[in-house]
Amino acid sequence: MPRARKGALIQCDPSIRALILQMDTDRNNIILEELDDTHLLVDPAKVEFIKAELNRLMSQNIYDAMDEEEEP
Amino acid sequence: MDGEHQYHTRSKGSTVGSKDLDFSDDSANTDNSDYDNGFVDDEDEAEYGLTQSGKSRASNYGSRKSAGGKKNGTKNSAKSGSKASNANDTLNKLAAKDQNFLHGLQHDAPADFVPDVVSGLFRSSDFSYLKLKPDHASRPLWISPGDARVILESFSPLAEQAQDFLVTIAEPISRPSHIHEYKITAYSLYAAVSVGLETDDIIAVLDRLSKVPVADSITNFIKSATVSYGKVKLVIKHNRYFVETSQADILQMLLKDSVIGALRIDSETSPAAEENQPTKEGSLDYKHQAAKIDPNDVEAVFSSVVGEIQLDDDNEDIDAVHAFEIANGSVEIVKKRCQEIDYPVLEEYDFRNDHRNPDLDIDLKPSTQIRPYQEKSLSKMFGNGRARSGIIVLPCGAGKTLVGITAACTIKKSVIVLCTSSVSVMQWRQQFLQWCTLQPENVAVFTSDNKEMFQTESGLVVSTYSMVANTRNRSHDSQKVMDFLTGREWGFIILDEVHVVPAAMFRRVVTTIAAHAKLGLTATLVREDDKISDLNFLIGPKLYEANWMELSQKGHIANVQCAEVWCPMTAEFYQEYLRESARKRMLLYIMNPTKFQACQFLIQYHEKRGDKIIVFSDNVYALQEYALKLGKPFIYGSTPQQERMNILQNFQFNDQINTIFLSKVGDTSIDLPEATCLIQISSHYGSRRQEAQRLGRILRAKRRNDEGFNAFFYSLVSKDTQEMYYSTKRQAFLVDQGYAFKVITHLHGMETLPNLAYSTARERRELLQEVLLKNEEAAGIEIGDDAENSVGRGGPGKKAKSKAVRGEGSLSGLAGGEDMAYLEYSSNKNKDLRDHHPLIRKMYYRNMKK
Repeated sequence: MPRARKGALIQCDPSIRALILQMDTDRNNIILEELDDTHLLVDPAKVEFIKAELNRLMSQNIYDAMDEEEEP
Repeated sequence: MDGEHQYHTRSKGSTVGSKDLDFSDDSANTDNSDYDNGFVDDEDEAEYGLTQSGKSRASNYGSRKSAGGKKNGTKNSAKSGSKASNANDTLNKLAAKDQNFLHGLQHDAPADFVPDVVSGLFRSSDFSYLKLKPDHASRPLWISPGDARVILESFSPLAEQAQDFLVTIAEPISRPSHIHEYKITAYSLYAAVSVGLETDDIIAVLDRLSKVPVADSITNFIKSATVSYGKVKLVIKHNRYFVETSQADILQMLLKDSVIGALRIDSETSPAAEENQPTKEGSLDYKHQAAKIDPNDVEAVFSSVVGEIQLDDDNEDIDAVHAFEIANGSVEIVKKRCQEIDYPVLEEYDFRNDHRNPDLDIDLKPSTQIRPYQEKSLSKMFGNGRARSGIIVLPCGAGKTLVGITAACTIKKSVIVLCTSSVSVMQWRQQFLQWCTLQPENVAVFTSDNKEMFQTESGLVVSTYSMVANTRNRSHDSQKVMDFLTGREWGFIILDEVHVVPAAMFRRVVTTIAAHAKLGLTATLVREDDKISDLNFLIGPKLYEANWMELSQKGHIANVQCAEVWCPMTAEFYQEYLRESARKRMLLYIMNPTKFQACQFLIQYHEKRGDKIIVFSDNVYALQEYALKLGKPFIYGSTPQQERMNILQNFQFNDQINTIFLSKVGDTSIDLPEATCLIQISSHYGSRRQEAQRLGRILRAKRRNDEGFNAFFYSLVSKDTQEMYYSTKRQAFLVDQGYAFKVITHLHGMETLPNLAYSTARERRELLQEVLLKNEEAAGIEIGDDAENSVGRGGPGKKAKSKAVRGEGSLSGLAGGEDMAYLEYSSNKNKDLRDHHPLIRKMYYRNMKK
């Protein structure tokens, strides 16, 4: 008997998908279904968390010139 | 326009004597504190370089929001907090100075100034009380009252004159195409004064160019920095350092100073050194006695003469010279201290009137052409007919060597040149012989292989930093040469590539070799460890920094298109990337198949255009993988010399070889004017210097003067990885020079490229497997024999290698019963590496790392 579950569809780059997969392995129960290379079905309650976490991870790779501005 | 007018006529005046000056440093205040800490305990350097600067940056950042002017204060207090013990009074004084500056700022607003609604948001950075002048649109400047930054509209019709002037009184921070940023610092002002600009002229011209009236804080700053300049001089006589001043009260003040007074050498020989003016020495010492500072024997000796001297001393005070001696080692301290107490020392070498040191017969050959900017840079050095010590910054390929040679030809005294490797030693020697009339017998080379000295009474010596700064035991020969070097007085010392040499090594070099004038040459005056400011006291201020954009517009260096190519990580690589340790991650983003494809595509594209391409990779594993897969020759640290030459020659002359792969070894020492395109696949973290040095490889492109010629500089970056961070950081220096990096997110036509590598998922997986099997060692950056690594770091590697030497010999032979001959082997580090079995080589590397 089929069961219906509510999910949020995320469309993203493969690299972002990998990041979300990584989150999922750490905390489980984020991803409901891996659809293909660029699509994921996730738990709607976790969407905000995913966004915040992605922001945090991505900002690590961004160089902020302001931090260094005072250097000669 | 009279101030400006005056300025122009002046620069026309003398041949080398222009009044434009350029200086560099942080604001004097910040610097002093740096200097103090760095100086007083040298051992702490590591901590100082990293944590300290980190801390101060953090505090800086916080305070910057609230008030620009507070910056210095915070920095000081952060530092003084962590270094409580020494030089407390110095720091207090500095803090007081900053406070004054700050206070001036806060009271700047006129009493009738009514803040408007939004003023509160800007707090003390609200400068709206400075009303725009009615014709502000035609004036190109704005000066921040908080930190003396100058913003210049470089598109204004007045910009060119304004630039000339600003370069004289301020130092360039950033010069992109439309808006330039300069900063007025105490150093830059000293430089301006020393070539004859008057305080009032500076203020008048600034006021004329500024959109708003010049704030009082700036006016006061300029006045305070310029008023006392030039009163104190540091001179070398008979290989000893003397502090001279023409005013007795200043001398007294210096001697009373807790730091400088203690460093004075009370040698009885000082009057002897001043044979021609013993009476003046006497009067000087008398004054000491009067002030009850330094009563000593010398005074007693002179006390009989002192009485009458004292009387006419008042009349003769103007041309009297008061001097005291300081030790060679304390020169730097005295310089710093004088800076702090607002009496910066003037360090100039009056070489035309120096008859004590024999002249060197050296002149530029008539065929030698000097480019305008080279002349300009030299005019800053010889601004008033005397030689000033300092650093000249010219882009790679813009002829730094010739600047050094011309300077040597101007001074015409014995010259010593220090560079980073023995290869460049030979290049310098050859360049000297090529450009000027110096005879080969006057040129000596001091390296580990060659320890000859010139026999004439003056000459040129070329050596390396490590040879001179070596503190370990020397061979007899080199000790003899060192004695020769330290035993005499040099007119001029040229320090090549000053940015790479550790400060401690510099200190040793500068203190052991007594040279009247010092010239530092570099292309990139940046260091990741904030040590650049140390150079100010060791060598001198920045005298000139060329505008890269201007040079490339005039065709002296090539016009370069810079691009950053974003290569998305493939899904499987990125998954592994997220899972791996930091070092392995690096390997993964370098070996990203998309990056490989982009590299392949760019190589094919540019080869079709007829470009000669250099591909740079810091990572040797990636270098080999890429090169072998693409079938291109490659050179890295362990490539034999013969093979290197072979490859390089083929690259230069063979139509079939249009691409070579180079590791770090190619960053500086390899000169390839044929190259017109550069692709960078891996790099040394966030090193701004490396980026600039690499760009320098194509700046001297032969074809640069062809119509519409562009050189290309690509940096391949794996998206969403650490590399993005480093890449942006690396570009900072070039962006400040006015280069714009285009971001390419997609290379059009890459997918359709025939025989594209790693186009199937299976190939990519295989590559991934291979990369994952590599151990972390492979991810490391080559421990190469490039200049940056070898200077000052040669020691530990050699030691680790072999402690025992095994040899065969008969018993009688060992006992000395056979003929013996002494033989010295020059050991080439590179050769040693090559001779080992790969396994041993690996072990060796590992040892070196530990």
